Amino acid sequence: MEKLKLNNTPVRTARNFAINNIEVLFEMPKEIRKFKNVEIINDKSIIDNEVSNKELTYGTGKILEKLIFEEANNKIRIQTTKQKEDIKIIYNFDDNNLNLINQIEIIANNDTNVTIIYKSKTSRTCFHNGIVRTTAKENVQLNVTIVNMLNENTDNFEAIENTLYQNSNVKYTIIDIGGKTSVSNYYSNIIGTNASNDLKTIYLGRNNQIKDINYIAELKGEKTNIDIDVQGALKDEAKKNFKGTIDFKRGCKKAKGNENENCMLLSNKAKSIALPMLLCTEEDVEGNHSTSSGKVDEKQLFYIMARGISYKEAVKLIVKSKFNNIIEKIKDDNLKEEILKEIDERLD
Amino acid sequence: MDTHNLKIYNEREKMKTQVEDINRNIYDIKNKDDYEIKIQGLNREIVEEISRLKNEPDWMLEIRLKALKMYEELELPTWGPDLSELNMDDIATYVKPKSKLNSSWEDVPEDIKNTFDKLGIPEAEKKSLAGVGAQYDSEVVYHSMKEDLIKQGVIYTDMESAVRDYPEIVKKHFMKCVPISDHKFVALHAAVWSGGSFVYVPKGVKLDFPLQSYFRLNSPESGQFEHTLIIVDEGASLHFIEGCSAPQYNKVNLHAGCVELYVKDNAYLRYSTIENWSKNMMNLNTKKAIVGKNAQMDWVTGSFGSKVSMLYPMSILNGQGSKTEYTGITFAGGGQNLDTGFKVIHNAPNTSSVINSKSISKDGGACTYRSLVRINENAKNSKCSVSCESLMLDDISRSDTIPVNDIRTDEVEFSHEAKIGKISDKTIFYLMSRGLSEEDAKAMIVRGFAYPISKELPVEYAVEMNNLINLELEGAIG
Repeated sequence: MEKLKLNNTPVRTARNFAINNIEVLFEMPKEIRKFKNVEIINDKSIIDNEVSNKELTYGTGKILEKLIFEEANNKIRIQTTKQKEDIKIIYNFDDNNLNLINQIEIIANNDTNVTIIYKSKTSRTCFHNGIVRTTAKENVQLNVTIVNMLNENTDNFEAIENTLYQNSNVKYTIIDIGGKTSVSNYYSNIIGTNASNDLKTIYLGRNNQIKDINYIAELKGEKTNIDIDVQGALKDEAKKNFKGTIDFKRGCKKAKGNENENCMLLSNKAKSIALPMLLCTEEDVEGNHSTSSGKVDEKQLFYIMARGISYKEAVKLIVKSKFNNIIEKIKDDNLKEEILKEIDERLD
Repeated sequence: MDTHNLKIYNEREKMKTQVEDINRNIYDIKNKDDYEIKIQGLNREIVEEISRLKNEPDWMLEIRLKALKMYEELELPTWGPDLSELNMDDIATYVKPKSKLNSSWEDVPEDIKNTFDKLGIPEAEKKSLAGVGAQYDSEVVYHSMKEDLIKQGVIYTDMESAVRDYPEIVKKHFMKCVPISDHKFVALHAAVWSGGSFVYVPKGVKLDFPLQSYFRLNSPESGQFEHTLIIVDEGASLHFIEGCSAPQYNKVNLHAGCVELYVKDNAYLRYSTIENWSKNMMNLNTKKAIVGKNAQMDWVTGSFGSKVSMLYPMSILNGQGSKTEYTGITFAGGGQNLDTGFKVIHNAPNTSSVINSKSISKDGGACTYRSLVRINENAKNSKCSVSCESLMLDDISRSDTIPVNDIRTDEVEFSHEAKIGKISDKTIFYLMSRGLSEEDAKAMIVRGFAYPISKELPVEYAVEMNNLINLELEGAIG
């Protein structure tokens, strides 16, 4: 077993604040066979496995990145054609498909909806280490939904890199409720004038789950925009690190950046660390961030319980209502139901 | 102004408002580098020599030597501003001025007295202070306090006298609030510390006027390592003001002071700092307070000077129901990298903290707000609210916000808000539509930005702070 320092923040702060990176005990899977239980639902795009091996700007960590470039057992490149497209990729972990090392690359030439789902149909220890690279060409609307519903014996590492060209609009929805240690890195390179990126995330931790979330948005083009909204809840002894950076680069005049993270603590042993950073070398910008932590609102609880609902159910209702603002944006009704059911079970 | 005019106003080429640098005429007065003793560099012999010159007890020398070992072992911070320009071999660790400790300004040597006169210290003492300490290079040259406070048992003296006259109190508290292992520059401080103030306010004694210590570094290529130890006993109350300045030299100077504050149960302490070091100063200061049951610790900080600052005062809320407030403003001009902020540890139930930080960056200056809020498992029903605003006055400057919020219990209310940007044209338009000229509107906005800080300072110092941010308004900000 090797101790890896992963998910470095773009700017370091004091070491004893314990947030610059996360230390993870990493064991290389003994056997990496082809991952067969993958389903791709799409009928129009050009699909191959010629993914780019270009180094990531940030990523979860160089060792994990190298592992992907050298030993990926699943590679998917999708170049969308000229019509509006819906793409769905589902990875089903089972007893014969325990380890996934994958690369997905989406080049959106036109309006595109992409949904990537990781599911466990086994309780055995699994491993996922992946890269999702998306590019939104000029004037394109790209919606990406990533759902992690892996079992709690699975280490999950995901690096996302997103590039936006002029007038593009990219909406990312990330549902991060699975995994034992779940390390996710999101880097948005907002180059094009007027490009806009919306990132919404839900995380839910229970038992001894660890969530390490590192989001970095670099605003480079004029009138660019980033909006980050993260809603989470922690039960039992779960632990979460949220690192969110909005970096206004020189020249991004009239750019706007907003970041909001809210963590509901459902246990007195849960731990929440947040580092919401604003970095700025441009004058004519507007940047805001806010974070909040605390238990479920007592007035809301009282109101619901006064209507005959138990404490446990009332807490679930409040958490789900916070999450629902994000979940309701998902267009696939079946998936929406599946996520809500999963959250319901994990809140029990 | 109607919509059409607003459009024209927005579109025309705007002249930038010039926010002038701090007028440093007073602070830049250089006296001849005239000293009795000047010791350059850092090693065991030097540390022993400083201790010998001060005729210290063995226990203090032991702390110094232990700290020196720690300094050699600890690494430079791997984060924050670049400190590579600092070479300890070039820094004078001890500079004894040609003056003994005096209790009358008349006895202070002429050139030193003139410096403090121009800084307005004796005048402020007469008007609004209960006591004054003045340090010149490594030694305190003046210390005085009002008679009635002496009668009430208040102790306000230089640190060397405190080590000699109150060894038990000092031994119990010295480098206990800030352990020598905290970081490299704390260890350096403990090895070569010299000067500083010691304050003890007995139980129930409330001081109506503040005490002030002023630290002046005159000697080039030297360090100032003053130690401030304040104990406000149960139910007592104190406002302490710290001022710092130095003339500008071409070579690097170093300030690595240490402030240890003990606010006992039901006590109150306000610690105000106007820091106006010259732009060749590395300001690597450490300040920490331990706050008792139902006690309150307030920090008011204005950081205007120095080339590099790394300064993060800290409150440790150990007593149930204890409170802390931090109000700080940082102003970074050309060539300055000011990394400032606040740290608070909630260590007991029902504790609360309020953090309010503002920064202004201009002319290529860099401001960083860096902080830590930690609410521990036992701090049930604690509250913390953080607000952080940064104003960018041009596009060659830099402004970063790096706050860490570490929450380890569910029974808390925690919120953090930060904003970054320029002064909005809409606000200027709003004020102008109410009859203000463009210049007055902008002046009002910038002064309003700094107001939450200046209102916390005693009137005399608020005026000084407003003078420090000398606005010369011309055209628009932004």
